[in-house]
Amino acid sequence: MPAPSGPCPPTFEWLGDAALSVHTPLARELFASLRAQPLPGVLEAVPALDLLTLLLDPPGAGEAVLAGVQTRLATLRPAPGGSGRTLVVPVTFDGADLAWCAAHAGLSGPAFVAALCAAELEVAFLGFTPGFAFLTGLPAALQMPRLDAPRERVPAGSVALGGPWAGVYPRPTPGGWRLVGRTSVNFFDLSRRAPVPWQAGDRVRFEARP
Amino acid sequence: MTAGARAPATGATVLRAGVQSTVQDAGRQVRSLGVPAGGAADAPARRLANALVGNAPGAAGLEVTLGGPSLLFHEAALISLCGAPFDAALDGAPFPLWRAVPVQAGQTLAVAGTAAGLRAFLAVRGGLNAHEVFGSRATDLRAGFGGMQGRALRPGDHLTWATAPPHGARRAFIAPEIRTPLGPHHDLRVIGTRDLTGNLPAELLNRPFTVSAQADRMGARLHEAVAAPRDPARPSVPNVPGMLQLPPDGRPILLLPDAGTHGGYPTPLVVITADLPRLGQLRPGDTLTLRQVTRDAAHAAYQAQERALRQAEWVLRQ
Repeated sequence: MPAPSGPCPPTFEWLGDAALSVHTPLARELFASLRAQPLPGVLEAVPALDLLTLLLDPPGAGEAVLAGVQTRLATLRPAPGGSGRTLVVPVTFDGADLAWCAAHAGLSGPAFVAALCAAELEVAFLGFTPGFAFLTGLPAALQMPRLDAPRERVPAGSVALGGPWAGVYPRPTPGGWRLVGRTSVNFFDLSRRAPVPWQAGDRVRFEARP
Repeated sequence: MTAGARAPATGATVLRAGVQSTVQDAGRQVRSLGVPAGGAADAPARRLANALVGNAPGAAGLEVTLGGPSLLFHEAALISLCGAPFDAALDGAPFPLWRAVPVQAGQTLAVAGTAAGLRAFLAVRGGLNAHEVFGSRATDLRAGFGGMQGRALRPGDHLTWATAPPHGARRAFIAPEIRTPLGPHHDLRVIGTRDLTGNLPAELLNRPFTVSAQADRMGARLHEAVAAPRDPARPSVPNVPGMLQLPPDGRPILLLPDAGTHGGYPTPLVVITADLPRLGQLRPGDTLTLRQVTRDAAHAAYQAQERALRQAEWVLRQ
């Protein structure tokens, strides 16, 4: 018997002839399900916020994949509590935009840092550049508008705020978020067995370091 | 040879690197870690070059760009070059494309420029040895991993390949129809997304664009600007191969294999799978027109292309 799909039914969007985007609050659960039990015709699944984009191979597999995803979603339930892991990221708060961000939040520098370290963040998804995680959970007061013109080069390890997100730039890249500090943790290290140390659902806390 | 100098007994030495020669294969599937796909930008060229020398379709080879490298071979090899019609010479004698060619130890392959198109794939029987990351040897230039130390070739680099049983240099003919079409003009078939709204169909479809000088493995930027919608609060969503991205300056970017995994700009069009190889041959100064087709037409085009490619690969392996 098909279960009710919940208060927010999925919507589907074709992207070109070989991709299907599934918009659903169960995107993370669907991603985990497709990893555990792949669906024929899905070459790769790429998560974003409440969204999972499926790359199809062959392109014509779309209709069968769509039906398979609908069946799969009907069996999924929200999995609260994330991965159960918490990562503590040591941060030296000396970023170029720290003073601007504190002023924007109406806080003193130390109070802004304390508020940021108190925030319970969570890895929503990875993307943009290898090892880059979109961290959700910033209180509204700490959410910062993106820069009008992105910096051409943001140093590796930069801790930054942009829109609803916090993040760490693992490598020097162009970047449009506001820089509040830096960490020595390398979030894309190919010398490790697991080059990317975090995954969707991990809880993250910043810890101020001198 | 000078006393004391010892040439390596295996592989090949890069004498001249070329404009941008990188180790590529079929790419990787770890976008969920933020890692771009990578891989040869002209996939049929990669597949046919590999088939000619009896390699698996995803074996690693060299992708050469605009101006090719010179390679001094220290051991015999069976090689093939497929893609844009580069001028190439083996010890000064014309080197044919779309063929498996035996090379002897001591010979030099010099790949020069190409009058049309941008890239070709050089396959070596056995497949190039290279740094494998997430199941692929493709070079990620931006993040600096895979291939040859995560970078393009430099003079003095030493290429090696896996040993493989001998494979005959067959004089098979590869029909021009299955080769990726080259410029200077390209008709690219596209499918609209939910971002294709307002004036965008009129601004983007059925009109000429010019490929700008900003064309690399991440994307080919077009010269002409269109009126781009601006939405700074737009969330970052996954990119897919062949997307047309519209940054605030209105100059469209066609995404290539090294594009970032996610993007926050509107993406009103996606090039169909059958035309993705053409993106790898877009050369600065080429013109292109974007023509909308249905998903059914796109699937039919893909099936016809794939059938022809598989048949050619099958024949070459016999």
